[in-house]
Amino acid sequence: MYQESRKMGDHPSSGLLFDFLFGRSTRHRNRQVVRHLLDGCAVCAAAVDGVPSLPRAQTFDYAAAFGRVERAVEERHHDFAVERAEAAERLREIAVQPFYRQWIMVTESAHFRTWGFCVLLLDACREWGFQDPPRALHTARLGLEIADRLDRERYGAARVNDLRARAWATLANAERILNDFRAAEKSFGRAERLLKEGTGDPLEAAFYLLLKASLCGHQQRFSEAFRLLDRVQRTARRCGDLHLCGKALITRGFLAGMAHEPELSLQLLREGLGLVDPGAEPRLVVAACHNLILGLTESGRHQEARELLEDSRPLYQRLGDSMNLIRLTWIEGKIALGCAELGRAEALLLEARSELTERGLAYDAALLCLDLARLYARQGRGAEMRRLAEEILPIFQAREIGREAVSALIVFQKAAAMETVTLGIVQELSDSLQESRAVPGLRFRESL
Amino acid sequence: MRSLPATKPARRALAGQDEPAATAPLAEEPVLEEVLVRIEPKLKRILFRHRIPAQDADDLLQETMLILVSKAGSIRNPEAWILATLTNRCIIYWRRQRSRLWDQVDTAILELLADAEVPAQEREELRFDLEALLSELPERCRSLLSLRYGLGCSAAETAERMGYCKSSIRKVTHRCLAALTQRLLGAGFQANES
Repeated sequence: MYQESRKMGDHPSSGLLFDFLFGRSTRHRNRQVVRHLLDGCAVCAAAVDGVPSLPRAQTFDYAAAFGRVERAVEERHHDFAVERAEAAERLREIAVQPFYRQWIMVTESAHFRTWGFCVLLLDACREWGFQDPPRALHTARLGLEIADRLDRERYGAARVNDLRARAWATLANAERILNDFRAAEKSFGRAERLLKEGTGDPLEAAFYLLLKASLCGHQQRFSEAFRLLDRVQRTARRCGDLHLCGKALITRGFLAGMAHEPELSLQLLREGLGLVDPGAEPRLVVAACHNLILGLTESGRHQEARELLEDSRPLYQRLGDSMNLIRLTWIEGKIALGCAELGRAEALLLEARSELTERGLAYDAALLCLDLARLYARQGRGAEMRRLAEEILPIFQAREIGREAVSALIVFQKAAAMETVTLGIVQELSDSLQESRAVPGLRFRESL
Repeated sequence: MRSLPATKPARRALAGQDEPAATAPLAEEPVLEEVLVRIEPKLKRILFRHRIPAQDADDLLQETMLILVSKAGSIRNPEAWILATLTNRCIIYWRRQRSRLWDQVDTAILELLADAEVPAQEREELRFDLEALLSELPERCRSLLSLRYGLGCSAAETAERMGYCKSSIRKVTHRCLAALTQRLLGAGFQANES
């Protein structure tokens, strides 16, 4: 064989070289070409160097390819349309079942293993992330299970990898919302690896980057988060997607708020809101407006905050989900407190606290109590403050919080016991809790 | 005429008390064929600029359009998206072609060296040519490929001898094979991606 390769003449034909370069040759022929090139043949190296000038490469006529593409797409278009129509029905079917039953249905029945159903489930996760994070987590796992079981021959391996990456990123985001940052990191790692084996769809990458940026922000890795968001914005511009550009700006605004850059945060949120399509993602708009109102309140611009809140109220009410409405009451209480309407502030804050407690959201309720503590400190209501401290301290102590926050808690506890809590002490506790693992509290922490 | 896959179905997902609100559909969807006709010249330019052979252009185009169909109307600007995605696919195409070519060259060399029927003198000549080629490579690649081709070391043995961890030796070997192939073929094939 080897001798044969040396006998093939001085140079392999340009056709053989072309086939070798594009992986269309046999192993035997490959050996011949490689042996020849190892001889240091300058003529062949020069021919390869200019691949386009090879005779076979004159086939840069793409007209036929376009004709075939239209036919192929026509066929698949119909399949996907049918699948999507069925997916909505399947979702209704599964929705009435308890979680464990949903899992069995998805793993045991091939009916659920469709692209359309998987996409629908993953979209649902984004919605649930806003109001029921544990449910979002469960749904993401379900979506992932389906993505892993999709027929690669039918959908194409690269496209399935894209969808699997999306499922892992969605799961990571649900884990992030539930503060399980370590699990989220791992899931994002899986998503990234799958994207590398995907189709190269820039919007899939942008989806991943947007969610990853959110995790980085919550881990206080702001410069990394902003770098990722730069990439999202570049992709959005390249794909002519203003809505995505707006989402990236809103996320940047959220993170700027967490990074203690209130003015920048307000500016970015406003810019982002100007770009997003409110009809496409109303929850995103409410979240952005809400953080804008909160930012204005925290900057002492209570009147502006109140005006924006009145403008946004119909949006909150139209969406109507209970967590949003509780947040609305809470922020109204905060604004009233800022405007020194203490009676109204107390009523609103107590109402929001009772709603949070009813839903078992003890930690959020404890955070809200810090606003009540401000109010009591202002009014010098030492006895109420002591009761409040007894209620909330165990909740904070049970959380993984930083050393400074623990010190602030001790100071607060002692002052409350002696009924000498001042506004400064409450503020210090609130600030240190915010610093400590970026406690989101009233801020929206959900997926975008 | 097919319109681009239309709206996302309502997300009344996994019913509960507070069902997630439906996400509104995107505005008026353009017709797929019209989009394709409108941007055909641009797509051809992308394919030509990336020197994609006509027989492979089919796959790249088809895959791009199928992704669009599968994304069910969630793409806001199909024209810009198709152009960006096809460009990415062309880049990936060349990345894979190159990677496959490196493996192909590697396999061919290993098979040539292992061929028992080769007369001793010709085997010597082969080793001489190979060493001449390796001598043009950076030190690290020369050492790694000498272990691979000269002593027949496996990836694990190479990693151990050169002090690399096992997880990174594949990447390093790939880089060295890239350098070797580039020396063997000239830079033209490498440059096509850009």
